[in-house]
Amino acid sequence: MKKFRAVQKACFLFFSFLLIGWMLGNGASLWASGGEGGAYSFPEMAGWKQSGEIQIYSRTNLYDYINGGADLYLKYDFQELKVAEYENDRKASVTIEVYRHETPVHAFGIYSQERLGNANYLEVGAQGYSEKGVLNFLAADCYVKMSSVDVGPEEREVLLAFAKKVVENLGGKGSLPSILSSFPREGEKKNSEKFIAREFLGYAFFHSAFTADYELSGKKFKLFLIEGTDQKDCRNMVQEYLKHTENLQNKVEEGRYQLKDPYHGGMDFYWKGNYIWGALDLDDETLRSMVLKLFAEGLENKKINNDNRNKPSLPQAAGY
Amino acid sequence: MADNGMDRRDFMKSTAAGFGGFFFLSSNEIKPEETTKKPLKEQKIIYRTLGKTGIKLPAINMGVMNSSNPNLVRAALNSGMVLLDTATTYQRGTNEAMIGEVIKERPRDSYVIATKAHPPENRSTGLYTKEATEEDYQKKIDASLKNLGLDYIDIYHHHGASVRESVLYEPVMKALEKAKKAGKIRFIGISTHKNEPEVIQAAVDSKFYDVILTTYNFKQKHQVEIRETIAKAAAAGMGVIVMKAMGGVQLQERAEKPVEPVPALKWVLQDSNVHTIIAGFTTFDQMNLDLSVMENPTLTQSEKAHLQWAAFQTGLYCQGCGQCLMQCPEELPIPDLMRAYMYVYGYRNLSHSQDLLLSLNLPPRVCGDCAECPVKCSIGFNVSRKIQDVIRLRDVPAEFIA
Repeated sequence: MKKFRAVQKACFLFFSFLLIGWMLGNGASLWASGGEGGAYSFPEMAGWKQSGEIQIYSRTNLYDYINGGADLYLKYDFQELKVAEYENDRKASVTIEVYRHETPVHAFGIYSQERLGNANYLEVGAQGYSEKGVLNFLAADCYVKMSSVDVGPEEREVLLAFAKKVVENLGGKGSLPSILSSFPREGEKKNSEKFIAREFLGYAFFHSAFTADYELSGKKFKLFLIEGTDQKDCRNMVQEYLKHTENLQNKVEEGRYQLKDPYHGGMDFYWKGNYIWGALDLDDETLRSMVLKLFAEGLENKKINNDNRNKPSLPQAAGY
Repeated sequence: MADNGMDRRDFMKSTAAGFGGFFFLSSNEIKPEETTKKPLKEQKIIYRTLGKTGIKLPAINMGVMNSSNPNLVRAALNSGMVLLDTATTYQRGTNEAMIGEVIKERPRDSYVIATKAHPPENRSTGLYTKEATEEDYQKKIDASLKNLGLDYIDIYHHHGASVRESVLYEPVMKALEKAKKAGKIRFIGISTHKNEPEVIQAAVDSKFYDVILTTYNFKQKHQVEIRETIAKAAAAGMGVIVMKAMGGVQLQERAEKPVEPVPALKWVLQDSNVHTIIAGFTTFDQMNLDLSVMENPTLTQSEKAHLQWAAFQTGLYCQGCGQCLMQCPEELPIPDLMRAYMYVYGYRNLSHSQDLLLSLNLPPRVCGDCAECPVKCSIGFNVSRKIQDVIRLRDVPAEFIA
């Protein structure tokens, strides 16, 4: 009988593999429901009990949870939302929403769209902030939004304690995109950095960009950085942009471009390698040249740091 | 083509509108109470009056929701658009603040602002929770005024109502009434993207709301019911604004090929009871394309053909109408099973699909007692075949999937 069961089990496993293989052949692949956040489970917290089932939303039904707001999340490659609600003996409640995106940069993107520059920032996850009854933060590829009702004067501490446990369960806090370090520090408005996932500047050919707000010498302006996949990708973007703004050139080469954009006014940008960086809404040419130069230095430093990190490490001294 | 006992012709008949009646109104059915003029950049603009509010609006305006680009908003206003639609929750108020930066450069009578807030809701019933108080709603209105930098908001929508009880929810109505009396808002609106006919009918019955903002597009199966209640709203003097004319990003993603915006917008404008559409463009090219609809809002033959094709294509996605639930003798949760199918074949997410299947408490022998499936899916899915395909995943050990 034991032998029969073993054969039965082997057959079952064999057909299971066949089924998965068949599904793979039909376009499905083994995709763990989660990447970093997939196996995510909500934490336990002393004095609090989870109330109700954990709600799960995917790209197809996020709309049921946040209505029209879902459109923007989809543009930032939203993957899955898990929602848990907690209650304590005094009927106070805490709701935790974990939005998982395709990449940490996309999670940062949607987080950056919703954060306020003057918020009360906290050291939680890669970055977080709190306001009355709310604590939101970024951790790895997840954007976590927490809210509380009737928690009382200790609500901030309660939310922070929950947040720390959520980060632990996510398996790491992650970090802000490292490319942001190449933006010039002079005049940069704190926490104004954004990632625009698609159609930067309102043009479909610019796929994505990082931006930050500045104020220098009484001038308010924006700097941007587009990271192309390679030099060719950037060339295509520049070419399309020149065509769109009726600044056609026979040969598109790396370097500086100063032109008039019908919608954005004066545009000043550089293209080198897989980077395009520039300034918006800055009419002072001297200032513009200065900040773009600083930007170039920032990119160069980042490149040097990356190159150093990628160099094969020398054998340890102890061995010689 | 007798898939699931429903061929293409049956499907056409089964869609409430079909393609002969309302679906394509002839051009002379567009009531020309609208006036036209050529303002900026020689863009022809069709104006319609927003019911008893008396506000004259271009037929196409901007739903700002998905854009954080102030120059796109400026370009929309420069091109002749007048109404900017936003919400307190869009990007947690930063969408309103971005609009505030743009409009502060302009005369107050050169634009119309509509914004909205949704009271806390029990998602399964659509009823509001105890947190949905008058005071809470007043705070939301005040927050919008602050974000936008305005003394008053032209239209404030009670946002996202999905059942009659919510439309008539007193604390929200009181907050809106007080705000109107205090001069903080000019007109009170209500918005809906679920169960629209019931919501619109309740709004008409209430005689409280000045404007409705509703989802309305050529792909909705209940478009006839929406059209009929929109007509009642317009007859009662309410202004009618349409959103998601193309179905929103979600529906666009579901399509095998994107829906073309121009025919979709024209389709909505055929209905003379619609006063304006808020289009959610995010690029200048999309904006210009949307504006071009006003050059000639009559659907061409090729545009009609595109809509017919787009309305018919079902792809992988169940619309969740629930009609199948009454037809299945085993009372299977068919929309959930179709979702499980989509997780595998649409998103290649086997574990998610298996999680869902296991959570459904299905009987051991699914579909085992029926020789023939009596379910006729309203969009033509072969339901039994899809169930048989996906149900096998239930028995695969989880460790082979996750």
